[in-house]
Amino acid sequence: MFKELLLGAGLISSSLIQAQNTCLTAVPLAEGTYQVQSIDGQGSPVDCLFGSPDLAEWYSFTSPVDTGVMITTNLAGLPAVDTRVQVYTGTCGALQCYASDDDGGGSLTSLVEFSAEANVTYIIVFDDNWTSTGFSFRLSLFPPPPPPVNLVDFQLVTINGLSYSMGLVDMNNDQLDDLVAPSTSNIRIGYQQANGTFQFVNIPTPAADHTASWSLCVGDLDKNGANDLMYGAGEGVTFMYANEDGTAFTERSYSEYVFCQRTNMVDLNNDGHLDGFSCHDVDANVAFINNGIDDLDFVQGGYGETCGNYGSVFTDMNNDGLMDLFVAKCGCDPEDLMMPNSTGGVFTDIAPDLGWNDSHQSWSSAWGDFDNDGDMDGFIGSSSSTVHKLMRNNGDGTFTDITNTAGANANQGQSIEWTTHDFNNDGWLDILGGAGMLVNDGDGTFTMDISVPSNGPVGDLDNDGYLDIVESGGSAHINQGTGNNWLRIQPVGAVSNSNGIGARIRVITDGLSQIRDVKSGDGFRYMSSLMAHFGLGQATTATVEINWPSGLVETLTEVAANQVLVVNEGVSTALTEPALPSLAIHPVPALDLITVSGSDVNNRPVRIFSSTGQLVRSGMVSASTVAIADLEPGIYMLEVITPKGALKRSFVKE
Amino acid sequence: MKKVILLLLLPFVILVSCAKEELGGQAVMESGSAKLVLDVTEFPLPELSDYGFFKGAMALQRPVPGVVPYAPINTLFTDHAHKFRFVWMPADVKATYNGDQELLDFPEGTVLIKTFYYDNVLPSNARRIIETRLLFKRNGQWEFADYIWNDEQTEAVLDLDGGYTPITWIDDNGTQRSANYRIPSEAECLTCHKASDVAVPIGPRPQNLNSDFTYRDGVQNQLARWTAEGYLSSSRPKNIRTVPNWKDTNVSLQDRVRAYVDINCAHCHRENSHCDYRPMRFAFHETEDPVNLGVCVPPDDPLLPQHTHIVARGSVGRSLLHYRMASTDEAVRMPLLGRTLVDEEGLALMTAWINSLQPACP
Repeated sequence: MFKELLLGAGLISSSLIQAQNTCLTAVPLAEGTYQVQSIDGQGSPVDCLFGSPDLAEWYSFTSPVDTGVMITTNLAGLPAVDTRVQVYTGTCGALQCYASDDDGGGSLTSLVEFSAEANVTYIIVFDDNWTSTGFSFRLSLFPPPPPPVNLVDFQLVTINGLSYSMGLVDMNNDQLDDLVAPSTSNIRIGYQQANGTFQFVNIPTPAADHTASWSLCVGDLDKNGANDLMYGAGEGVTFMYANEDGTAFTERSYSEYVFCQRTNMVDLNNDGHLDGFSCHDVDANVAFINNGIDDLDFVQGGYGETCGNYGSVFTDMNNDGLMDLFVAKCGCDPEDLMMPNSTGGVFTDIAPDLGWNDSHQSWSSAWGDFDNDGDMDGFIGSSSSTVHKLMRNNGDGTFTDITNTAGANANQGQSIEWTTHDFNNDGWLDILGGAGMLVNDGDGTFTMDISVPSNGPVGDLDNDGYLDIVESGGSAHINQGTGNNWLRIQPVGAVSNSNGIGARIRVITDGLSQIRDVKSGDGFRYMSSLMAHFGLGQATTATVEINWPSGLVETLTEVAANQVLVVNEGVSTALTEPALPSLAIHPVPALDLITVSGSDVNNRPVRIFSSTGQLVRSGMVSASTVAIADLEPGIYMLEVITPKGALKRSFVKE
Repeated sequence: MKKVILLLLLPFVILVSCAKEELGGQAVMESGSAKLVLDVTEFPLPELSDYGFFKGAMALQRPVPGVVPYAPINTLFTDHAHKFRFVWMPADVKATYNGDQELLDFPEGTVLIKTFYYDNVLPSNARRIIETRLLFKRNGQWEFADYIWNDEQTEAVLDLDGGYTPITWIDDNGTQRSANYRIPSEAECLTCHKASDVAVPIGPRPQNLNSDFTYRDGVQNQLARWTAEGYLSSSRPKNIRTVPNWKDTNVSLQDRVRAYVDINCAHCHRENSHCDYRPMRFAFHETEDPVNLGVCVPPDDPLLPQHTHIVARGSVGRSLLHYRMASTDEAVRMPLLGRTLVDEEGLALMTAWINSLQPACP
């Protein structure tokens, strides 16, 4: 559009100037065409493009009015030169990345567009990362773009102190997402402050046998209130357990060989304790089953028996309250796995039955309720072709391929990372990956937006209720917002795992009913925020329903928009807590079997604790009985987890 | 001018430094000795000495009759480890030729033996053998066994669980180096040693064996030797299309690169291999077409936006292949398995080759 405007306006002036060589002497630019003889000035201390340039040429731009600016090094009739351009705000001593481009002009030339505020000076740098050869560029102006509405606009910013971060997740329970960068003997955490800055702290750890080179996931494994880390490496798994205030970590490494890909934390057997899971590239998938006391037990088998496992995601695909497993596969056995979880954590592959065991050479998949009809749909993105698959959950155990009818085939890119979030807070989940973002139109179709960044850790870096994306280097893409309302929900489990991972959260507004399943580990590599994020459109209040992994359901009404809502399991403030139904047991004392009776107690999770509070048994109530034959004689506490809450009763074992 | 001199000098050093490995594992041929007899149905045996492949102190790796040493023309870089290789076959069976670039068709009961070691290992400046890997063929299928050597270097015990051996040594140039040497688990073995998910050897192809070897009794072409030993049918073409030694500076950069990726990369980047869903095809007979080398081919997964091509003519910085070769990050590096260090000599070759390519990719 603006190109035509320029051609018609005839404003192009041509001038040959001596480009200046330092930031302080940057040459002010006006609209026009400029020639650079060669790049030989002082290099820039801030590189927004992750290269290794030595030298640079410096310019500046200031406008008396708001304007759009375009700079390109692709000029008709002139040779294409492999340039890079970076635009900064700030001062020469404290440059902030504002916009940048390497190859956007085509043929390795550069093209950058940015919005310039009136009377703000922008520093413009060309560097010699690729070549110091001279070139020409044109700066042109166009009317400032209108503020975005239901589009997704990100700005790249530098975060001082940020290095490569694998995670963006609250590590100190202040409901602000923190930056997490683990390395062999250190965890660097950037704690988000209320003022939007980050306080970086290096926490030394024992040397990890295995680092988070392939993936990272986070959750409170030992229920001590602080998040632990799981590192997925090429040859095995290490866990880093946090102390109670998250200021120190102890290491637990496993010697078993695992070529880790995606790692997750999830309560596989619904015993109230998070387990670890890792995709295995070259063998059967593995789990680390939490014994609920002090360790995780390595298990291989039962979660996909062949190689080629790249992207695991746990979500409830059949609305039975249990976390099911989907594995995006690639390479040696590329047929994806779809494994519903049945009682007790048994996973069975039904992909062949559904005709889903086809090969997309996929490294990850994105699962969410794209059509807000109350069940999880799946997007399986390819890593090596532009053929992706969008499957609508029909709610009856079947799925329909709607890739083309929904316009998802407009994503003509490929990537190893695919995730879904509501980036514009309009109440409809968008899909990020490949060539950009499939923005959900809310009418069953998607519109492709290629202006967005690629995947990284996703969370809220500035506590504005809009999801941001951490870049792989020292910067981040800040979501500029849309004016829509939002709600972020942090479940805090008691009977359920601490993070509420696996909780199904439903948010109901005037026009929409949306669901999220709380996850640790989506996409391929990164760890994104554990808070459930909902866009509310223009709604100002919502009803929030939490379906806890324990079976407890809590409902909060008239929840105000635009807040982070912490929901403690069983202590919902907006709810008048009903008296718990009674739990009857017999015989007393008991020898082999306890028969339980009460409201809705059969086929529910049951746990037995010793008199000192140690978990000694977990399982399910079956045929209204619980087996206790092998317990030592003594006094125990029996706990049955029902939809109405955790029912407890002590008993004596003979 | 300066660059030209460097290019000429560097490979010379490489040639000098690598001559040693080819001299290792000299065969001891003793006429009249009985041929070793083994029953493959009993494999894998618990300890390496149980096979009787070697005479005298096992650490000396002196093979008994019928255990024939060999050395492929090009070998995989594995953190600078040296290797002894031997082949053994039962009596009255032999391998047959199946194409220059195809694996020899080995008979039932064949055992391929490969011992990994370092010299000048600190603190005692001695040789340290780490592991001896076996590939043996039973019921028409290849199977793995791995024997981990004890600290005394007197015995090696079957173990396919994988592990680590931290090692520090003085290399042939007098430089101290360290690696946390990875002993592969069975699943790791298969990752590289497979075709259509079935275990296979990698190196013993006619194109990679058609070279001279210094045996105890003199220098001989390896294929001729195998035939003389009764291990290879004489029915094969006279002219074998043979890979050049990638360290041979008399060969063109392009062909050296082709030879390098053939042995370092093609086991995963060929049809029916671990990573055949990516576009590269790195086997030597496939890389006459530069597209199969990734030249001017956009990557499926550009790790950084600058990586416009797998190999960008004239631009190392834009070449994803170079970036992966130069990395030790296990989620970035290529090859994925078998190394924790950068193969600096291979990287120098790749750098010189990419810089020599013109014009820039469109």
